[in-house]
Amino acid sequence: MEELAIALTFGVLQGSVYSLVALGIVLVYRVSGVFNFAQAEFGTTGLFGAYIAVVLWEWPFYLGLLFGLVVAIVMGLLTERLVIHPLRNQSKVTLLVGTAGVALTVIGIQFWQFNDPLIRQLPKISDAVYVTPFGAPIMAQQLITLAVLIVAAAALAVFLKSPAGLAMQAAQQEPVACELVGVSVRRVSMMTWGIAALLGGLAGVLSGAYTIFTAGFLTFGVGKALLPGFIAAVLAGMKSMPGAVAGGLVVGIVEQFGGLKMFGDVPGASALLLLVFLVVVLLLRPQGLLVRKATA
Amino acid sequence: MALLEVKDLVVGYDAFPVLHGINFSVEEGELCVLLGLNGAGKTTTVSTIAGMLKPQSGSMTFDGKELKKGSPSARVAGGISLCPEGRRVFPRLSVRQNLRLGSWVRRKESKTVRRQLELVYDYFPRLAEREGQLAGTLSGGEQQMLAVARAMMSKPRLLLIDEASLGLSPTLARTVWEVTKRIKADGTTVLMVEQNAGALPYADRALIMEKGTLVYTGVGDEIRDVNLREAYLGV
Ligand SMILES: Nc1ncnc2c1ncn2[C@@H]1O[C@H](COP(=O)(O)OP(=O)(O)OP(=O)(O)O)[C@@H](O)[C@H]1O
Ligand SMILES: [Mg+2]
Repeated sequence: MEELAIALTFGVLQGSVYSLVALGIVLVYRVSGVFNFAQAEFGTTGLFGAYIAVVLWEWPFYLGLLFGLVVAIVMGLLTERLVIHPLRNQSKVTLLVGTAGVALTVIGIQFWQFNDPLIRQLPKISDAVYVTPFGAPIMAQQLITLAVLIVAAAALAVFLKSPAGLAMQAAQQEPVACELVGVSVRRVSMMTWGIAALLGGLAGVLSGAYTIFTAGFLTFGVGKALLPGFIAAVLAGMKSMPGAVAGGLVVGIVEQFGGLKMFGDVPGASALLLLVFLVVVLLLRPQGLLVRKATA
Repeated sequence: MALLEVKDLVVGYDAFPVLHGINFSVEEGELCVLLGLNGAGKTTTVSTIAGMLKPQSGSMTFDGKELKKGSPSARVAGGISLCPEGRRVFPRLSVRQNLRLGSWVRRKESKTVRRQLELVYDYFPRLAEREGQLAGTLSGGEQQMLAVARAMMSKPRLLLIDEASLGLSPTLARTVWEVTKRIKADGTTVLMVEQNAGALPYADRALIMEKGTLVYTGVGDEIRDVNLREAYLGV
């Protein structure tokens, strides 16, 4: 029982990182129709940005974090400008490969520029550690991530109802009519990628400080969140924002359940369990979690 | 001075010309109907005025100022609004959200937006009843009403409507034309593209287009002449 409670707690905390990544993936998919493989790298790049400002340049801590987020946003805008926009008339697969290219490029740059030392650490916002009633220690930093997720998701929900948010949805549904009412589809695309990159950046600068990090941290490093984020996004039917949040948390929990003693002897139990879970959910609810069928 | 003046307009797709130098003007406060058969170039004409296509040569003046190359956004901000062929409503947004986006260029003028919203709901009470419904689930006729209403939300001086009657029952087509007449009476100049000669009685001015050239321009009672319909439209 205790073991279960601990897995649940850790699952939600790790899952909130996945949720942030999934929100960005769903947002971009909804507006550009692109499966964005660079979403996690927006986070790692933001993390490196914050690290450079805080540790190497010794900027004031919060200013440094802010710088990291700005770096992430700039990377999002550059991705739109240099890859998505020029390839906009190509097939979605081409765009997908384009975003994978972006991820590989920045990971390459990270290895090249930050190889010595390979392992780095960004200070946390708070070093406090709390011990839960079940004895499992959790970091204040993880709780901050969860809080940021809640605020970001709420802000996004409000934003999507605002004129600019409506324009974002309209641009994907009817680009021609969008231009005709005076909305620049181009600007909407830039805005979308900027916001998605900010969400990735938040995941990066927050979770990057949990332990140490290396190049490619959020894509395949210690803090890997790309694949879980994609699974969460698929669980959300690639369209529901609340679904992306729930999906991320659920993926985090299922992953932790794979570490329970009852699966102790199965190698790769977490990954296996996650896969089984994904297949079962998609069989039972092909439209995804928290997605109204009527809107499909 | 005419509100819209089109001179020697040549427009084509790639190098292939579709409009071979057309001339016409629309006076302020008029309802002008542009008639022609399939492929005559009607959509090309209004798309060019709305800034979606670039002319190869010729000029367009609106309210005395030349319309230079510019985006549809610039045109709608300048008072020219197009209700496009094929409706193009935002399917997964509600009726109300569609209308709010229609007033995008005036989104900071909340009073104007509210007034326009009341106005279009008055034109099309059906839309008011279905305010919360997703536009994609409206009937074809309702979508057409929404498309016209959305184009009116920017409070244009010149409203371009491309084949609003397409796919509508004769009764519903007449309803839409009646509303168009009311829009004109309320002070918006209208240029309406039609293939259906039934729109003629509502018009103050008629233009008839054939294969990219205007073959007839008329004003007032002469356009209601039956011979005219026979000569050009075969009805
Ligand atoms: N994107 C395009 N590329 C090439 N040719 C085009 C394009 N759009 C239209 N045309 C051609 O231009 C001509 C005029 O088309 P347009 O759409 O303006 O006609 P229309 O009068 O609106 O016809 P309809 O009543 O069928 O809508 C047609 O011969 C058409 O094939
Ligand atoms: Mg047409």
